[in-house]
Amino acid sequence: MPSQSLAYAVLFGHVAFIVVGALMTVLSQNLVRALVGLIMTLFGVAGLFFLMSAPFIGLMQILIYVGAVSILIFFAIMLTQSWSSGDEAQGPSRKRAVLASLTALAPALFLGLTIIFKSPPSLLVAEETEVSALGRFLLEPYILPFELISLLLTVAMAGAVILGFERRKQR
Amino acid sequence: MMPEVSPMLIYHLVALFLLCTGLFGVIYRRTLVGMILGIELMLNGAGLSIMASAQLTPTPNEIGQVGTLLVMGIAAAEATLLLAIVLVVTRRFKGVEAARLATMRG
Repeated sequence: MPSQSLAYAVLFGHVAFIVVGALMTVLSQNLVRALVGLIMTLFGVAGLFFLMSAPFIGLMQILIYVGAVSILIFFAIMLTQSWSSGDEAQGPSRKRAVLASLTALAPALFLGLTIIFKSPPSLLVAEETEVSALGRFLLEPYILPFELISLLLTVAMAGAVILGFERRKQR
Repeated sequence: MMPEVSPMLIYHLVALFLLCTGLFGVIYRRTLVGMILGIELMLNGAGLSIMASAQLTPTPNEIGQVGTLLVMGIAAAEATLLLAIVLVVTRRFKGVEAARLATMRG
């Protein structure tokens, strides 16, 4: 079926995009370049959301992650002056790389075996949900998490503002 | 024997890859900002996994979509707080290397 192989081609294209972006994010010496890799990954994941026929969440991913979170991280890079001439410039030691790889491989082994051998049968094509149904779901059975996340965002914002006002005490 | 490769398996493997890369990044990076990048990768993998589990199985789709939205909200709140914390750390320690943050003092 040509349309199905086209869909697989698009899927693997997005997967390649995500893999390249994620490797750039963790391995790049330059933090700004690492942030560009993170943005690549976020766009790739948004594409996967579109492929899973959840376009609303894909748009939210682009708006929230690419629009807000990556700008915040860019401000963090800028304000702390930790780009290539800064702290990250001299590369990490080899021992640290080995330890980090071991740490990353432990969940890869266990979770990977689990999801390969125990995953339930999956649908080939997801059906689309209307945004109005999503809103009704969010405001009727899921009202408590919805309110809690608003509270969490408010508290985080207030905490960030208070931390920003902190002056260094005189010793 | 190997089971056949279903679409959900591909999505879950991508999410697992994001989790592992994020963990690697959190340990490999020496600055706090680099660690934030790793944490964002891990959270994104979590959202992808939740979404794939709900969209590609008979589970109601709304659960997965709302769950992914909540993960995004938590990530946004976390990024806001981390920016403020990183600023305070820079002001106090004149740098954001994790090894330098070794004093506990009010």
